[in-house]
Amino acid sequence: MLDLDKLRALAKETISRDDIKYLIGWRQGTYGFRTSPHFVGNLEDAEQLIFSPLCSSNLATYLTLAEKRPVPRGAQPDTRRVAIMVKGCDSRAVVQQLVEQGIKRESVYVIGCPCEGIIDRRKLEEKVPHTLERVEARWENGKIILDLPAGRAAFPRDEIVAGKCLTCRYPNPVIADVTVGEDVEVRGSAGFEDINWLEVKNAQERWAFWRDKVNSCIRCYSCRNVCPMCYCAECILDKLNPAWIQRSVNVSENTAFQLARAFHLAGRCIECGECERVCPVEIPLSHLNRKLVKEVSEQFAFTPGIDPEAKPLLAGYRPNDREAFIL
Amino acid sequence: MKLSKDKLADFLAAIPGKTVFGPQLSGETLRFTPVTRPGNLCPTVNNATVPPKSVVFPQTETMFRFEQGATDIRTAEPSGETVLFGVRPCDARAMSIVDNVFFWDVDDPYYLIRRTNSALVGLACLDPCVNCFCTSMGGGPASTEGLDILLTDLGESYLLEVLTGKGEMLCQSAEKLLSQASSADKEAAKMLQEKAAAQISRQIDPSGIPARLPALWESPIWEKISASCLGCGICTYLCPTCHCFDMQDETEGEESRRYRTWDSCMFSEYTLHASGHNPRPTRRERTRNRINHKFSYFVDKFKVMACVGCGRCINLCPVNIDILDILSQVGEQAL
Amino acid sequence: MSENFEPNVVAFLCNWCSYAGADLAGTSRIEYPPNLNVIRVMCSGRVNPMFVVNALQQGADGVLVSGCHPGDCHYMEGNFLARRRFALMRELLNFVGVDERRFNMSWVSASEGAKWKDVVTGVVNNLQEAGPFTEFPRKKIDW
Repeated sequence: MLDLDKLRALAKETISRDDIKYLIGWRQGTYGFRTSPHFVGNLEDAEQLIFSPLCSSNLATYLTLAEKRPVPRGAQPDTRRVAIMVKGCDSRAVVQQLVEQGIKRESVYVIGCPCEGIIDRRKLEEKVPHTLERVEARWENGKIILDLPAGRAAFPRDEIVAGKCLTCRYPNPVIADVTVGEDVEVRGSAGFEDINWLEVKNAQERWAFWRDKVNSCIRCYSCRNVCPMCYCAECILDKLNPAWIQRSVNVSENTAFQLARAFHLAGRCIECGECERVCPVEIPLSHLNRKLVKEVSEQFAFTPGIDPEAKPLLAGYRPNDREAFIL
Repeated sequence: MKLSKDKLADFLAAIPGKTVFGPQLSGETLRFTPVTRPGNLCPTVNNATVPPKSVVFPQTETMFRFEQGATDIRTAEPSGETVLFGVRPCDARAMSIVDNVFFWDVDDPYYLIRRTNSALVGLACLDPCVNCFCTSMGGGPASTEGLDILLTDLGESYLLEVLTGKGEMLCQSAEKLLSQASSADKEAAKMLQEKAAAQISRQIDPSGIPARLPALWESPIWEKISASCLGCGICTYLCPTCHCFDMQDETEGEESRRYRTWDSCMFSEYTLHASGHNPRPTRRERTRNRINHKFSYFVDKFKVMACVGCGRCINLCPVNIDILDILSQVGEQAL
Repeated sequence: MSENFEPNVVAFLCNWCSYAGADLAGTSRIEYPPNLNVIRVMCSGRVNPMFVVNALQQGADGVLVSGCHPGDCHYMEGNFLARRRFALMRELLNFVGVDERRFNMSWVSASEGAKWKDVVTGVVNNLQEAGPFTEFPRKKIDW
């Protein structure tokens, strides 16, 4: 169990350092089961910091999302480090960003938070609808304890955690300058049961499945924006000349959009499941990513976001890569 | 008047020559789509994720078509009359707010046709969501603004209140299916509506907001609020009062079309100039614009706030940016 | 599918091997199905996987990407990089329900006119069986 006082003390100590610009963590949200990314710039902010099974956001996104304002003439750019709290999956995003040189190691200070699984708000709201009061949650002996308005409730972990947590093989941060709490047991399997059921269907059935899902896409781009690996200065989806993907919203363009998004994460997706969590129309986006994770692992024995010294998968090759599909 | 629930299918079928749209599952979420089997309608569970504005203001709408080498264009004219069934009072109110924009200095021809050809059959909201705050924005779970008919679910039947001439026309074609409502029915409906209004627990007094916003233009709150913003389009695309669109051309072989498609002020591209200059360069300015547009500019022009309190942006924001939280911050800031 | 269906195949051929191979097939008077729309690119590594998606959107029934044999790339490693990309793109397309016969990749050198004929014949025959691509071409959408 995590001691919040210790976490906050660590945060205060961290942001008091001269070489830290601010700390990115989580705070309780405005209602119910929500939490929100929290930017800690002073000691007061640190008091609101939390880490609980409700802390769903992958904060690594903010390392690359932060807007760089022009430095006034004569002033020195602020080169202080950004401190960031990461769960296991989030830490893989940091590593992958380092691999791709999206960020520099000396510009981040990583606070690792071993994680026993994050609550899927949709699953929880099915069991406990209409909760306005802020709810706190914690892990305890393999269960998730919630302080609901009606009283304390314990839920078996596997019933309410996100799908990504059921298959998670890296609950402990793979990179950290300092760790809060103790390492947790790895429970996820290396298998791909979550997508096997779809793979065994025939092509028509698979298309029927995806057509239905893709058809409901509203192109809000939240899946792209929330993704810690989507940090191109100009995204292919935004380009107009040439327009790789038209702005019109229909099955054709939506499919192209989702294929582009998934493919651009091939060998890069660190399975944080944020795309799926934020999708307002509940498209099972991580199925696409998991399919590629599976292929990358089986064909190239590669797992992204583990080794900061690794080379990006698609920027390299082996002469004996599998080529059974080539005529 | 009263409509028995088992006659709902017949009621919808009796509407001649009109396409009925209603909240139905599309993928995993509810949106307004043409009703083919009334059994598929889900009017009673949560409000549709995509608001019914998508029927009168489709996300992608062809404006005209043209061909290579030809000098004429073929204007696309929306045709056909529609009935929107099961619209929540908040969404109906939103449509009458959006009318202000599309019928402002010139009438938008596409919107005009779709809007005048549509009738709104509302369903009083008896089980408000956690984040509903319609009562604070001048509406309510049984508000009739913008609706042609209001239904109230009495369990076995709907109490049917005809509100406009359009609504009367709809009922005429299905007169035989309707029965007279007793005063007990009306009383029961009133009770249910009041109970629903009392259930709405999120409240705010927005009356001072429009006056405060201009003074808070450079306030540090915008930086704070927007810090966690991802810049996605959820809050605007799914807002029933957001109405911005972008126009694009698309070519396929020798055929081309110009269409318009929803746009969002939360995208950096929205204000990007051809020169590369962006007058709203960061999410701070974009967030500030979203709030100012809804609660300041719109009030200046049309004397009404462009927010109906449906709660969608709060429910679906990936990072819990809460419009009520923003408004209370705006309300509390020292000027 | 009926025998009459003539698939529309978009072929991305690398300048140095496959395009020359196809050229050789032509100059050697080797007959092969005329269903190809050839787009010459400098290297198979230049073919963005989104080209394939775009081709399918714009009415292709199938796509063929062809480059130099591994080790023969004019740019040393372009075809190796392409091979990795398309190994993944192919699986992704298949996963969303695009028939696997619609995406093909081959290595054809400048001297392999006969192989080129075999590749094209195989691809076209397969696509005749698979039928027209109806999943997500733009034209199917009413605009």
